[in-house]
Amino acid sequence: MGWSMPRGVLISCIVVLVALALIPVTESRYLIDITTEIMVYALFALSLNVIIGFSGNVSFGHAAYFAIGGYVNAILLTTYEMPLIISFPLAVVASGLAAAFVAYFCTRLTDIYFAMLTLAFAMLVWAIAFKWRSVTGGDDGFVGVHVPAFLDDRVPFFYFTLIIVAVSIGILWMICHSAFGQTLIAVRENLTRAGFIGVNTRLMRGAAFVVAGTFAGIAGAIFAMYNRGVYTESAFWTESAQVLIMTLLGGMYSFFGPAIGAAALYLLERFANEYTQYWPTVLGVILLVIVLVLPEGLVGLAKRIKARLAGGS
Amino acid sequence: MISTLRTTVAAAALIAVSAGVAQAEIKIGVLYPIAGTGAVYGTPAMHGNDMAVDEVNAAGGILGQKVVTVARDTKLKPAAAAAAAKELITKEGVKVLIGGLSSAVGLAISEVAKQEGVVYIATIPKTIQMTTEKLHKHVFRTASHTDFEGDAIGQIVGKLGKNSVCDIQLDYAYGHDLAAGIEKGLAKHAPSAKKVMDLRAKLGATDYNAQITQILGAGCDVVTSGLWGSHFVNFAQQAKPFGLFDKVTYISGGEIASHEIAGKMGKDYPDNVISNTYELWYDHTFPAHEKFQADLAKRSGTKETAMWPVLAWIGVKFYAAAAEKAGSLEADKIAAALEGLSIDTPVGPRTIDPKTHQADAGQFWGPMVFKDSAEYRVMNPVTYYPAKLD
Amino acid sequence: MDMLLSSPTFVFIQVLNSISLGMNLFIIAAGLSLIFGVLRVINFAHGVFYMFGAYIMYSIAQDMELGFLTGVIAAAAGLSVIAIVIERGLFQWLYDKEHLMQLLLTFAIVLIMGDLAKIIWGTDQLSVSYPEGLSGATNLGITFYPTYRLLLAVIGPLIFIGLFLMIERTRWGRLTRAATQDMEMLAALGINVPVIYVTIFLIGSALAGVGGALASPINSPTPGMDATIIVECFVIVIIGGLGSLWGSFVGALIYGFVFNFGSVIVPNWQDVFAFLLLMVVLLIRPWGLFGKPEREGH
Repeated sequence: MGWSMPRGVLISCIVVLVALALIPVTESRYLIDITTEIMVYALFALSLNVIIGFSGNVSFGHAAYFAIGGYVNAILLTTYEMPLIISFPLAVVASGLAAAFVAYFCTRLTDIYFAMLTLAFAMLVWAIAFKWRSVTGGDDGFVGVHVPAFLDDRVPFFYFTLIIVAVSIGILWMICHSAFGQTLIAVRENLTRAGFIGVNTRLMRGAAFVVAGTFAGIAGAIFAMYNRGVYTESAFWTESAQVLIMTLLGGMYSFFGPAIGAAALYLLERFANEYTQYWPTVLGVILLVIVLVLPEGLVGLAKRIKARLAGGS
Repeated sequence: MISTLRTTVAAAALIAVSAGVAQAEIKIGVLYPIAGTGAVYGTPAMHGNDMAVDEVNAAGGILGQKVVTVARDTKLKPAAAAAAAKELITKEGVKVLIGGLSSAVGLAISEVAKQEGVVYIATIPKTIQMTTEKLHKHVFRTASHTDFEGDAIGQIVGKLGKNSVCDIQLDYAYGHDLAAGIEKGLAKHAPSAKKVMDLRAKLGATDYNAQITQILGAGCDVVTSGLWGSHFVNFAQQAKPFGLFDKVTYISGGEIASHEIAGKMGKDYPDNVISNTYELWYDHTFPAHEKFQADLAKRSGTKETAMWPVLAWIGVKFYAAAAEKAGSLEADKIAAALEGLSIDTPVGPRTIDPKTHQADAGQFWGPMVFKDSAEYRVMNPVTYYPAKLD
Repeated sequence: MDMLLSSPTFVFIQVLNSISLGMNLFIIAAGLSLIFGVLRVINFAHGVFYMFGAYIMYSIAQDMELGFLTGVIAAAAGLSVIAIVIERGLFQWLYDKEHLMQLLLTFAIVLIMGDLAKIIWGTDQLSVSYPEGLSGATNLGITFYPTYRLLLAVIGPLIFIGLFLMIERTRWGRLTRAATQDMEMLAALGINVPVIYVTIFLIGSALAGVGGALASPINSPTPGMDATIIVECFVIVIIGGLGSLWGSFVGALIYGFVFNFGSVIVPNWQDVFAFLLLMVVLLIRPWGLFGKPEREGH
C-alpha cells in the first residue's frame, strides 16, 4: 500500500478537514466545544487501535497514558510555569516513556494476561495520581491549569486542537501503513508464524504499545488544557473501557474506524444524557449490538451494506 | 470514508437545529448525579430543586419570568460534569449552574463557571479548596465545609470532657480535610484531648475489621470520624460485635444522623453515636421548617423525608433572591448581589460571606437515641451549631 | 502501630480478620474461577451477581422478614435463574469468539443489571441485620470475636470441600475437568457439553449470589458495590490462577492477610500493595500460583 493515501481516502480526509475548519464560522460555542472534545477522543481511540487493530493485543489500561500526558502537561504549565512549547512535548515524551516501561513487561505476555497486566499498571498510575496529593491534587483533581493566553479563547483552541490532531492522525497513518505497520498486521494474524519468519514479535508489539501510548499522551495533554483540569478518573479503568468501546464500535480493522466510533459514542452519550438517566443501559445495549451483530463495528456495517448494494445492482 | 462524512454532516445538522431554539424563560442548569452510585443523593436533591423552582414560580418567577430547570447527570465524574456544564451554558443558555456532589465534580464545575463567566452555586461539595485557593468571583457555596464540621466535633469532645481521641477517615479529599478541621477544633475547644491514632480507610471500603481492631487496641475513649453513607453502615455493623460502641463515644461528621441512615438501619443503628445533619424531618427548630417538610412529604410520598432536598432547595432560593436583588440576570450583578446576601431557610438563616463566598451553613448535632418510636433512632436533644469559627 | 503488632491478642485477631475476609471473598472468587476454568469466559458480571445476591437477601430477610436462611436460598435460586437465562440466551453464541467479545458482553450485562437493580431496589442506603443469635461475639479464650465472622470463616472451607469433592470425586466432576481440556472430544464421546456449561455457569453464579447474601450484614447492599468486589475477585483469581479451585482458596487467604496486615504495616497503601503483588505474579507466573499455563491459541 505504501505511504501515500489512496485517492478516495485523501479526498475524504481533505473534505472532513475543511468541514471541521469551517465549524467556528457557525459561531456556535456548543458546536465548537463538542467538536473539540470529539477530535481529542478520536485521536485517543485511534491511538488505542495501534495496539488492538494492528498488533492484536487488547490493552485495558490505555487511559493511563492519556492521564499521564494530561497530568504532566498540566503540572509543567501550572506548577512550573513552563511555556507550552516545552511542557507539551515533555508531556508526550513522558507518556511514551511510561508506555515503553509498561510494554517491556507486558509484551512478555499475550492475550488475557497481557490485558490484565496493562490494567494493573493503569490502576497503579491511578493510585499514584490519587495518593500523590501534593503534586497531582489527589482526588480533588488538578484544577486551574494555566493555558497560554493565545489559546484562552475557544476558537483558537479549536484550531490548535484541529492542527495537532490532524498532524497526529497523519503520522499515525504513515506509521500504520509503513513496513512496520504491515509487519504488525502479520504479527496480529499469526504470532507464531511471524516469529518463524524472523520477526522479533515482542519488539514489534512493544513498539506498537509505545506508539499508542505516545499518541494517547498527546490527546491527554490537549484535554487537560481544554478542561483546565485533570482528574484521577481519567486514569481509571472505566475510561480505558470507554475508549476500548469507542474503538470497537467504529471498527478495529479499519484505520479510521475508531475515530468514527469515538464520534458516535460521544454524541450518543451527550444526547442520551439529555433524555434519559439510564445511559448505562443504553451503553449496554450498544455493546450487545457490537458483540452479537457488528463485530467489525460501524465501518464493517458500512462495508456490508456497500457490498450488498453493489451485489444487488 | 463516505459514511464518515455522512455521519459528520448529519450530526452537525442535528446539533445546529437543536442549538437554535429560542428561550422565553429563565433556565437554571442543575447538576447532580442521577444515575449509578451517586443517585442515592442526586435523586432526593432533585426533589428539593423542583420544589424550590415551583415555589419561586408560584410567587411570580424571577423578575417576572418563569424559571425552568434543565438537569444533567454528572455521573459523579468531573470530566462528564464539566462537559455537561458547558453544554448547559452554550447550548441551553442557562443563566446559572447549581448543584454538584463530590469535591472533584464541584471544582470541575467551578472551573467551567470561571471560564464562561457564569455563576455557580455549590450546594453539596464540602471541599475547602473551593472557597480558598480555587475561589473566583463567580463561585459560591451554600453547603457546609470541613472546618465547620471539625469545629463542631471539637466543641462536642470538649463538652464531654474526653481525653483520648482516635480518628478514622476515608482516604480522600473530604476525609483529609475533615481530619484537619477536627485537629483545629480539638486544639481550640478541647485542649486537653490527645489524638492517639489516625486511621484511613479506602474510599468505597467494605471491610473495617483491621481498623476496628486497631482502635480497640489503642484504647481511646472517643472516636471521631467522617465515614458517610454505606461506609458508616458497614463500619457500624462490623464494629458492633466487637463491642466498640460500648467502649467509645463515636462522634461523626458526614451527616450520618440524617434519617436516610437512621431510618434504613433501624434497630441496627449503634449506641453512643453523636452526629450531624443539615435537616431532620421531625425537628422544627426553625418555624419555616414545618411547611417545608409537609410540602416535601407530599412531593416525595413519604412521611419521613430525606436530608438532601433542603440543600438543593437553598441553592435555588439563593439564586432567586440574588436575581431579584440585582434586578438583572447578568452574572457579575448576580455575583455582587450574592455577596453578603441573607435568606431565611427551613434550617435557619443563611448569609453568604462577601469575602469567602461561603454561606454560614450551620448543622444540627446530637446523640442518636430511641425516642417515640422503637423502630429507628432520632437525634435527641437536637442542638443547632451555627457556622461560626470565632 | 508496631506496639500493637507485638501484642499476641492483636495479631491473633488480625489473623482471624484475614481468614474471615478471605473466606468470604473465596466464595465469590471460586465462582468466577470455576466459570473461567470450564467456559473460558472472564465474567465481569460476577460482581453484579454478587450485588443481586445482597439485594435479594435484603428483600427476603429485611423487607419481607422471611428469615436469613430463606434469604440465602433465595439468592442462590435467583442467581441460578439469571445464570440460565444469560448462558442460554447470550453466552452460548460466544464460546468460539475472541476473549475480547466475551468480555464486552459481560460488561454489557454489568451495565444493564446495574440499572435493573436501581429500578427494583431504588438507590436508598439499605442495611441488613445479622441473623438471630449471631450478632454478638464468641469467647475464644484469649479474646472475643464476632460470631458471624467466625461463621463466615467456617462456611468458606465447607464450600471449598464441597466443590473439591464435586470436581475431584464424582463422574460429573471428571467430565467437567475433561471439558476444560478438550470439549470437542467430550462431544464426540456423546457427552452433552451444553448441559455441563450451563450447570457450571449456574453453580458459579449461585456462589456469587450466596456470597453477596452472606456478606450483606457486613456489606450493605448499595449501588456500585459490584465494582469493588469484582476488582478484589480478579486480584484473587489471577494471583491464585484462573480456573484453579486451590488457587482461589489460597489467593483469597493471601488477599485477606495482605489487606489486614497491610493496613497496619503500610497503612493506606494496602491496595497499591495488592496491585503490586498481582503484577509480580503476572510477570513471574502469569497463569498464577496454582494455575496451568494455557496452550497457545484457542
